[in-house]
Amino acid sequence: MISQKINYLNNYFKIAFLNIKSNIAGNIFALSIMSFSFFIMLFFMLSYINIYNYMLSFEKNNTMIIFLKNTNNKNSEEAHFNKVRFNRIIASNIINKIKKFKGVKKVKYYSNKLSYKFMIKHTPKIKSILAKIKPAYFPKIIKIYFNSNYISKIYLSNIYLRLKSMRHIKFVYYSKLMEDRINQFIFFTKIIGFIVLMFLFISSVFVSYSAIKLIILRKQNDIEILKLIGATNNYIKIPMYIESGIGSVFAFILSLILLFAIFNIFIYYRFNNFLAFFKINIIFLSSFDVFIIFFVALLSGILGTYFSSRKFF
Amino acid sequence: MIEFTHVYKSYDKNYILRDLSFNIYKGEFVFITGPSGAGKTTTMKMVIAMEKPTHGQINVFNEDISAIQPKQIPFLRRKIGFVFQDFKLLINRTVFQNVALGLEISGVSGSIITKNVTEILKAVELYQTKDEYPLSLSGGEQQRVAIARALVQNPSVLIADEPTGNLDFETASIIIDILKSFNNKGTTMIIATHDKTLIELGRARVIDITKN
Repeated sequence: MISQKINYLNNYFKIAFLNIKSNIAGNIFALSIMSFSFFIMLFFMLSYINIYNYMLSFEKNNTMIIFLKNTNNKNSEEAHFNKVRFNRIIASNIINKIKKFKGVKKVKYYSNKLSYKFMIKHTPKIKSILAKIKPAYFPKIIKIYFNSNYISKIYLSNIYLRLKSMRHIKFVYYSKLMEDRINQFIFFTKIIGFIVLMFLFISSVFVSYSAIKLIILRKQNDIEILKLIGATNNYIKIPMYIESGIGSVFAFILSLILLFAIFNIFIYYRFNNFLAFFKINIIFLSSFDVFIIFFVALLSGILGTYFSSRKFF
Repeated sequence: MIEFTHVYKSYDKNYILRDLSFNIYKGEFVFITGPSGAGKTTTMKMVIAMEKPTHGQINVFNEDISAIQPKQIPFLRRKIGFVFQDFKLLINRTVFQNVALGLEISGVSGSIITKNVTEILKAVELYQTKDEYPLSLSGGEQQRVAIARALVQNPSVLIADEPTGNLDFETASIIIDILKSFNNKGTTMIIATHDKTLIELGRARVIDITKN
């Protein structure tokens, strides 16, 4: 019984490869269209994963950054000394007020010089560019670290509004605000991604459907003969499923290789320095993400065969 | 083995077969005859459930063809070898691959397929052409490939519809000899033909469907 099943499987693969061989041009055409569809799917997945990953970095980091206003810039040394002193007084006043807020874990002040050093330390790849800029042009920053349990939107937005209303404060940014904005963006990415994914999925099913239907129409005479000598519907259909499965897998591998190549060549080598400036780490798809698209690819092939063979058997 | 009881067959109220009844027993060599359009091919097709009777009953291996489940039809056909007038060979497969088809469909292993196909091709004297494609063969050779394909599964019954229809007398007698030799080994042979010469060559029971 088992050996008979192995013989059947062997035959199914043999017939599937014969079918592929007999329609090379049609199969290459279907393969290229399907590869293109799967490539777009993978590309969308890659974009989504990276946006999500970027958002996570804000989620992990529960901080608020305050940019202080610059005082008048006078060139004399005395004025500069006074300015530094004045800035420190302003900063310590603000810090004292901030420390009174509930949930504040730590407050750190970055003068122009310190924020310059911070940038040099964290973005070494653009050190040569930063070296040409005067430290005085860098912003004065106060960074607030909150306790991990003080992350409610209402609480943070309340502090945000209070800080914004203070004198000498130019801008206030906080991770949750960024996270919300990215979340909104992700929501639209999800909707657009889903629509595109569905469209590409349907077109992949259609391509697979057409390729198999073409084979059925071309081989109608052969199928009739096979049925007359005792072939079951499964004996005729299973090789078609295998054929479309092989096509889908090949198209998927091709699209994955293409995406990987583009990812490495263009994104990694050309834009990594640029993206590092914004502290954005780009990542490639995980094996689970790849599996999802692989499953979609395989499903499209199987569904295409199902719809095309349903009419005939 | 095969039993037709008051069988009627009509297409659009036009009766091709009327009240056809006969029995074919195991190991027999039978000619089914009648003029063109008398319903010989339809009768043959009904045996392998390609057609269903309008009225009446057909029993093949004690199974009622009019009530057979579609899923059971392939398994019935595996027990019956069928040789078509137009051979119905797969032109993109070699002689060997065409003959092997029936065994592949039944899930037989590769080594047994090679052994059985080689034996049957030698029996019909076509072993030397095993790697050729059907279109490169003569009509008689193609018919022998079709017979080999029908016999390779060692069926209980072989049905041949006008097996010598397009062949000359000499080739037809070779075909009849082959069929006779397999009949002597126990295979029931049912030959549909309107060719009286062939019937004389065969010297076997004749069922004239026009007289039933």
